[in-house]
Amino acid sequence: MHIPDGLMDPLVAAAGWILALVVLVIATRLLNRRVEERHIPLMALLAAGIFVAQMLNFPIGGGTTGHLVGAALAAILLGPYAGAMVMMVILVIQCLLFGDGGVTALGLNFLNMGFIGCFTGYYVHRAFPEKYRKAGIFAAAWLAVFLGSLACAIELAASNMMSGGAFGIAAPVAIPAMTIYHAVIGVGEGIVTTGILVFLSQVSPEMLKMPKITAGKASGPEKEVAADA
Amino acid sequence: MHSRQMLKVVAAIFAAFAVGLVFYFIFSAAFGDGLEKTMENAGVEEQEPVYKAPLSYGDNYLIALVMGILGFAAVLGCAFLFGKLLVKKSP
Repeated sequence: MHIPDGLMDPLVAAAGWILALVVLVIATRLLNRRVEERHIPLMALLAAGIFVAQMLNFPIGGGTTGHLVGAALAAILLGPYAGAMVMMVILVIQCLLFGDGGVTALGLNFLNMGFIGCFTGYYVHRAFPEKYRKAGIFAAAWLAVFLGSLACAIELAASNMMSGGAFGIAAPVAIPAMTIYHAVIGVGEGIVTTGILVFLSQVSPEMLKMPKITAGKASGPEKEVAADA
Repeated sequence: MHSRQMLKVVAAIFAAFAVGLVFYFIFSAAFGDGLEKTMENAGVEEQEPVYKAPLSYGDNYLIALVMGILGFAAVLGCAFLFGKLLVKKSP
């Protein structure tokens, strides 16, 4: 789902950059006040692990493949702000070192895979009661990918409309294609994310109990670090 | 997380990556992802990038393995340094 250069209308790409910078400034300010030393090894390992996992595309049929996005995984383990920062580091290295995703589309790629993925993943997972935790993780990961792809499809359609067809893809093609492919890819994301978190709960349960950084008051069994407290 | 534990996790990720890459080249390498397939359906071709990256993921197992390890190290280092900067700035 990495948008390349030249696909989006320049105005849509610029809006993506502006929105992404606003999100990053807010996330950095919150993390400045709340991040703890013990978060750092997990942040770094998660970022690096998600990077290599994103290289491993899996077939979904019809000559199409998908790969783990990892935003829900990062957000569930670290909280949505730290998760979004992890995704930002991955996307910047992918773009600048490997040319995966265009520089002009980096803002949109961050919004679709980092911001939407992490916040959807985290809050959907939190909405499920403890006894349905596995179902909650699966739903969170699936929805994170699905909503990210829907956002990408809307950006494609907006680019097409604003440029009179010079950029993007018309809505009747972009929206069904992107959402159908990613509804299937999201199943893979859900299975892998649930599998990793169930595995971690058995081999390293303290990792799941690490304080998360959220915007609300401290709550829940994990005793979260409230970013605005 | 202790450094010994970190080394074990890194080794496990590399092992999983090395095995996963085999399946990637058998089943997926020839095909595009969801966005690339959508572009193909719409008859949209990928444009020349504005910025030319120095590396690529490679089109064979060995190069992809090396690039994966290189990217892993780059992301690990950047995320670690970024995290350190955030902690140092904390009051």
